[in-house]
Amino acid sequence: MDAASLYKSLDEPDRADHLWRYTPWKRVHPSGDLNEIPSVAAPEITLTCLEDGVALVGISVEEAVVGAEVLPESDEVTASFIRAAAGRAVYTLRVENNFIASSPIVLGIDTGDSACALHLTLDIGRNCEFELITQISGAAPWTGFLRTGRIGDGSILNDVVIGYTDSGTLLRVDSIAIGRDAQVKAGTVSSGSDRTKADLRYKMGETGGHLNVLGSILSANDMHLDHHVEIHHHAPETFSRLDWHSACGGNSRTVGTGMLRVAKGARGADAGQLFHNLLLSEKAEADSIPELEVSEHNVVGCGHGTANGPVDEEQMFYLETRGFDTQEARDTLIAAFLNSTLVEMGSETLHHWLSEHLQDELEDLKS
Amino acid sequence: MTSDTPVLGISELHAGIDDTPILRGIDLNIPPGEIHAIMGRNGSGKTTAANIIMGHPDFEVTKGSVELDGEDLLEMEPWERARAGVFLSFQYPQAVPGLQVGNFLRKSVAAIRGEEEAKGAEFRKKLKDAMTQLDIDRSFLGRYVNDGFSGGEKKRFEILQLLLIQPKLAILDETDSGLDIDGIRTVAKGINNAVRGTGSSALIITHYSRILEHVQPDKVHVLIKGQIVKSGGPELALELEERGYEWLEKEAEGLA
Repeated sequence: MDAASLYKSLDEPDRADHLWRYTPWKRVHPSGDLNEIPSVAAPEITLTCLEDGVALVGISVEEAVVGAEVLPESDEVTASFIRAAAGRAVYTLRVENNFIASSPIVLGIDTGDSACALHLTLDIGRNCEFELITQISGAAPWTGFLRTGRIGDGSILNDVVIGYTDSGTLLRVDSIAIGRDAQVKAGTVSSGSDRTKADLRYKMGETGGHLNVLGSILSANDMHLDHHVEIHHHAPETFSRLDWHSACGGNSRTVGTGMLRVAKGARGADAGQLFHNLLLSEKAEADSIPELEVSEHNVVGCGHGTANGPVDEEQMFYLETRGFDTQEARDTLIAAFLNSTLVEMGSETLHHWLSEHLQDELEDLKS
Repeated sequence: MTSDTPVLGISELHAGIDDTPILRGIDLNIPPGEIHAIMGRNGSGKTTAANIIMGHPDFEVTKGSVELDGEDLLEMEPWERARAGVFLSFQYPQAVPGLQVGNFLRKSVAAIRGEEEAKGAEFRKKLKDAMTQLDIDRSFLGRYVNDGFSGGEKKRFEILQLLLIQPKLAILDETDSGLDIDGIRTVAKGINNAVRGTGSSALIITHYSRILEHVQPDKVHVLIKGQIVKSGGPELALELEERGYEWLEKEAEGLA
């Protein structure tokens, strides 16, 4: 069955479902008419190295006829919709075995100013070591971005996706398998779109996989940023952590929902998730719902937690006693809060680049 | 400001929190270049006095004045007081995860001493010298402010800031608490270097006389129930060490 037929055969998502509780499908569908699959444009894609003049050998983006399948653990509605809307905008990021890069690789996705969609397959070989920044920018009113695929055995990947669109809606779906002994940091930096719905799912289906999912989310004005993260442990000796920081100002709302599933047989699994929300105004709203389903009793540990609060008054006082005026102290604390997860996303070079991006975003939101 | 204007001038200060009076009429003058110590038991109002001088928003001044070089501090925001020359070394400094020590120090020195003093080789040298003096490793600069610091590291970091900021008035709130004897010596050396011979003044708030063996005060004041009940020279600290506070509490009750 093709993607459009599959989408049309599915029932409208139920708002009782964890995924759709705070942002119903209708709010992120491009037209709101759920039966419609609009014809949208393809974004422009570029692949470069953060360090100037470095030739890319062993890594490429290729047009593809079909993308890798979506994991059975993923939601069919969003994935089939993006696949159908993307049409021929199907690409594969192919990375050869043993590919190593000392400087981050930047995958640029320029949405232009019309609605667009893209299905990208990650085909990452064995024993690779590199950092990938995927930067989504542009002024499209609606962007659909689906990533499927697998991180190869033994690979070490720092994978950061930055939602940097000027406005509009971003619908983002990750459906990615983590290979045996692979070590992956999956970072999300989000601050651009008016509305984001992200459904990020990772399968720890092979022994020894190690995954850190990290979020630095900044919302302001009337933004609505909803991230749902599911990590499925199927194989023994797998490790995952989710650490999600959202700073929420103006009339905006951030939502973070998490699901950790540890299947029977995932012996020695070690999994945890934490959501922290910093509320910057009285009207801002942040919801975090972590959930756990553990079917294996022989685990190292499984836990979850959430914390919400305003800017800490004692921290403010401390910075003010060090000469920071009230606005500087507040801005510094917001940046520090987001930096706590940003710094964990990768190397010093990557962190430096991300910090500058974050600083620009903070300035933009103030202006 | 005249030549006899104290760096810190406190007159008839009454203050408290949530309608509970804590300070009940304090008078204190610290001339330029002098080190004074306030001693007292827990709950006597020592930390409240430090917070009020620095402008903590939770405390309310109901009467009296606090001046720095003749300027009204009570009219200033905490950051204005810092820029005017007041520095508070906290008993329990706040941790700020995500804020790197190096960036924090640069921003703080720039805010208080000006942009020029927070950049270039001169700043780096000053920072390196201060860190060497306090036996602080260079890797410290990459850590987050007070995040995961031991008690001793927190205190040394406060004194590092004192050395870089060079305020007119340093208030040191229980800087010796939680330190072993080597830690006290290191911190005391930093305080002496920051204050003695620089024209700065200091107010040391302490429970015990240990730190005063290493930082010789010009005057010692004893605070009991929000009032200074006795002032004297450094020998008063030794007397308190030997006799405790009870005899003064009795004297104070007699006076009341």
